[in-house]
Amino acid sequence: MKTTRVHQTGNLLVAVQAALLLALSHGVSSAADSVSWPEQRSPWSEHALPTLPGGDSYTGRLDAESLQRFLEHGEQLFDARFTVLDGAGRPMATQAIIPTKRKRAPRSEFSRTAGLDANACSSCHNVPFIGGAGDFSANVFVSEGFVHSDFDTTDPQFSNERNTNHLFGAGLIELLAREMSRDLVQLRSTALKLAKKTGAPVKQSLHSKQVNFGSLLAMPDGTIDTRKVQGVDQDLVVRPFSHKGVMTSLRQFTVNALNHHHGMQATERFGPRWTGDADFDGDGYTREISDSDVSALVAWQAALAPPTRFQPTDTRWTQAATTGEALFAQIGCDSCHRPYLPLESLDFHDPGPLDAAGTLRENEADSTIYALSLLPWAQLLTRNAEGHYRIPLFGDLKRHVISDQQVASLGNELLSQRFVERNVFMTTELWGVAATAPYGHRGDMTTLSQVIDAHGGQARNSRDAWDALDNEQRSSIIAFLKTLDISPP
Amino acid sequence: MNASGTMRSCSSAIGKCGAALLLILLSAGAVANASSRSTSSTGTGTGTGTGTGTGTGTGTGTESDANNPDNQYSGDIPAYLEQAAQAGIEHRYAGPWEYFVGGGVSSFDCNGDRLPELYFAGGNEPAALFINNSKLAGELAFSASKAETLNIKGVLGSYPIDINNDGFLDLVVLRVGSNQIFQGGEDCSFKPANASWGFDGGNAWTTAFSATFEAGHHFPTLAFGNYVDRTAPGSPWGTCHDNELHRPSGSISASKTPGSNSNSNSNSNSNSNSNSNSNSNSNSNKDDIQHPDYSNKQNLSPGYCALSMLFTDWNKSGTDALRITNDRHYYRDGEEQLWRLNSGSYPRLYGRADGWDSLVIWGMGIAETDLNADGYPEYALTSMGDTKLQVLDLQQAIDENRPAYEDMAWSRQATAHRPYTGDDIKPSTGWHAQFEDVNNDARLDLFIAKGNVENMQDFASFDPDNLLMGGADGVFSEQGDIAGIALDTRGRGANVIDLNADGLLDIVVVNRDTNVSVFRHTGMQHQDTTRAGGNWLKLELQQAGANRHAVGARLSIKTGNVVQSRRVQVGGGHSSGMAGFIHVGLGVAERATVRVQWPDGQWSAPYKLFANRHVILKRDQDHALQWFADETR
Repeated sequence: MKTTRVHQTGNLLVAVQAALLLALSHGVSSAADSVSWPEQRSPWSEHALPTLPGGDSYTGRLDAESLQRFLEHGEQLFDARFTVLDGAGRPMATQAIIPTKRKRAPRSEFSRTAGLDANACSSCHNVPFIGGAGDFSANVFVSEGFVHSDFDTTDPQFSNERNTNHLFGAGLIELLAREMSRDLVQLRSTALKLAKKTGAPVKQSLHSKQVNFGSLLAMPDGTIDTRKVQGVDQDLVVRPFSHKGVMTSLRQFTVNALNHHHGMQATERFGPRWTGDADFDGDGYTREISDSDVSALVAWQAALAPPTRFQPTDTRWTQAATTGEALFAQIGCDSCHRPYLPLESLDFHDPGPLDAAGTLRENEADSTIYALSLLPWAQLLTRNAEGHYRIPLFGDLKRHVISDQQVASLGNELLSQRFVERNVFMTTELWGVAATAPYGHRGDMTTLSQVIDAHGGQARNSRDAWDALDNEQRSSIIAFLKTLDISPP
Repeated sequence: MNASGTMRSCSSAIGKCGAALLLILLSAGAVANASSRSTSSTGTGTGTGTGTGTGTGTGTGTESDANNPDNQYSGDIPAYLEQAAQAGIEHRYAGPWEYFVGGGVSSFDCNGDRLPELYFAGGNEPAALFINNSKLAGELAFSASKAETLNIKGVLGSYPIDINNDGFLDLVVLRVGSNQIFQGGEDCSFKPANASWGFDGGNAWTTAFSATFEAGHHFPTLAFGNYVDRTAPGSPWGTCHDNELHRPSGSISASKTPGSNSNSNSNSNSNSNSNSNSNSNSNSNKDDIQHPDYSNKQNLSPGYCALSMLFTDWNKSGTDALRITNDRHYYRDGEEQLWRLNSGSYPRLYGRADGWDSLVIWGMGIAETDLNADGYPEYALTSMGDTKLQVLDLQQAIDENRPAYEDMAWSRQATAHRPYTGDDIKPSTGWHAQFEDVNNDARLDLFIAKGNVENMQDFASFDPDNLLMGGADGVFSEQGDIAGIALDTRGRGANVIDLNADGLLDIVVVNRDTNVSVFRHTGMQHQDTTRAGGNWLKLELQQAGANRHAVGARLSIKTGNVVQSRRVQVGGGHSSGMAGFIHVGLGVAERATVRVQWPDGQWSAPYKLFANRHVILKRDQDHALQWFADETR
């Protein structure tokens, strides 16, 4: 297991960075330039940005060999401890997802609160191994980054403290979200056509993969009222990533995180096209992360094997888990933690269909298809009667109110995020839950029992039912959840 | 959003475009200086953006105009295709001396499908209304209206506005001779309303118009700008006609006219979330006030041969003043004008003692914007030679309420004073001007229609329209040639408007003596094709009772730390009005928080909106409606 502690940096790094900035005062360097001449890299080079294997075009439908090389590059990037020579640092830019200038450079660039707060993606995503979740010590402090962006406190009025999610099966999650978004938009379109045809309002139920997202009202004049839409944004884009469910794609999240955590600014959002500035973060480096590097990171995350079901050798555990799984359904946990959602295709197109400007879009680059079916783990996926893959995520990719007056601990944030209210969160996918403690969006619950007890709001009935079970029954549910494991690669 | 990857016509000639631009860069003129300044401000690394050339998307890059390394503008450049004939529009603006000016187009929806129709002035030939049949995000398609009511001669321009508050846009038509107001009805039906609304169209040569809803009035106040008085002795020199103000007769209490502009001090940017509940009052009052009465007319004297006018809240007071740009070619001892509209009483000109400095230009068009969203508008004034870009002296304005302006066209490189391409370096002649965001990068751009008056030898003959792209540093960069709009036509009025509901702003230009230009926005140029631009929003405001379309309302659009401002206005440009969705580019923001300051000064609660959609905001409703164009048409 690779674990990088951000505390290892400190003043030396800042001093080195300052020196480099002085050295570079006669011009700016391109991080991309650096990777164009790998032969100039000495074995002791302090660059961390790996070089993409040349000679191949990573576009179109990648064959197994090309995909493998691309994934290897993605993993190297994910594990790279970016240095100032790569363009790490953002002295004149905040962590905001919309490129935002600081008024002045911070005294110290690294900070466990406002960031930079990590050297590598794997610094936090490492439980139980690279790509995984994070310990409480790897929590991130999420702020919009527009005002008070240099907060140096954990006071919740400045940021929401979040535990690091694991990324196993992330490609499947995004594919599910894409199909669900497609379904919802199709329903909206159908309702509008019907309203126009009949000249009367049409109330359209919104559902996809048997997950209900409320309804909308379509009017004959082409307007729609979305007040009764539930658990998804008004634009009907299912955003499956982050605890809050506000990130559309791995690509969007990757671009955000590279800037936030490392000060590595992707050209596709922070480049001169959108900012008018080749070195937006003012660190002396341009084109720090190319489109292809982001793509490789996306590919690697998308290709991570989904969590698995652990088969205990202890028959008592097996029996308890069987009982627990039944109880899990019986008390209604599976109404949100859906054991399976059906997926039509394992072709992961990058760029994806749902991103907006600032994240590479379909018509901005040649599309690449990562056929997840080429990966060994894909053979383990089962199919339903329609031939769709059964994705055992134990989630519904829908947001819910998760706290109430009496059970409020999961509603402990002060700040809404990206239009989503403070007490509303995406259903956590439970696959891999056995290997990714701690729990809760703050990672401040050490046991599964604790986090189940903390379910309020729309999960209150199930939580109360859980509470009403006897000890053995509750234990059996834990036994079941402890089979939702993550296998080593 | 258009993502069709359509090849633009100019892309194949981009080498030529680039060469042309290089010539300009090498010239000693202001445009070259503009480019070099832009270079220093945008920094290095604005190269071709080809990336490493190996990975996904690496062959495409994400930086602007990869085919033209000479172009220092790093943002997206639209790819416009001129498609008037293809879209079914054959129409020209022609006629003798009286029609050397004018030549407007107005855009508005008159058949309820929320796509804008186009009404073109024809000069001494008939004006014409074209119905918009365009497909969603598809090719533009128009057909001439079968109703011929509007097909009258002598038309210089027009402005849409719902005068009688019935929900249908009416049309004010400016003419050589009697102006005409047409009452709008179902399915693009119009009927003359001068008689029924007590409006005397006069017999002047009318070249400008603006309207506002004054406090206490259920109907709008109409201002008409007149040009040369052809009957005066010595005409045309020094014989400018007075302008006119038509205020609706009678008034009702302000509490019953929530739609009208407040005359109270509403410039505090109140954070109040309370909306007025008085719309219902105006509904109940509606039967009492069926028709406006414009029988009372006030002359605004002196007139200095107006070519554009605009009611504007220059000092954020909540009460509009009337700004008029005048043509020095015919006036004597005249200047630009700003009329103070004291509630109900005779307007008074701002003078030297008030801080209004003399500005003498060949004023042709006014475009208002608020570049820094401080609530104090800036104005682009087109002319022969330099375009002015005026910014208010805030210290004088705030401390002493003085309308003192400074020009920043030079520092912003927006003078557009001579053609940016071709060999003709004589001064330009600017007409219609309009600030919009044509690449959706959240920075306003400036379009200016250009064209020689009529064989004026001292001015450029080949005088292409301008597309000044707003940069991150606030400096504008001319990209008209590369964008594909640098045609050899003589432009007059224009509209920058989305004709096919794809969030991309098309450009319609009325040309003298030749067919109109309809430039379809096909996307942002990228290598040999196009790609999507920034995110966008289009917003429609509605309120009940008077002033249904919220003329005078202000919109505040917040994305991150950036706040943009828009205002709903009727007037300005050059003889060209528009009504409908208000377009805002959002850049890379996929969400925006929008607040509306309704015309009476009340602020709405914030609306949380997602990008890339049409949104309808109704007063007293805390939720927004989304609108989708008919996919089946």
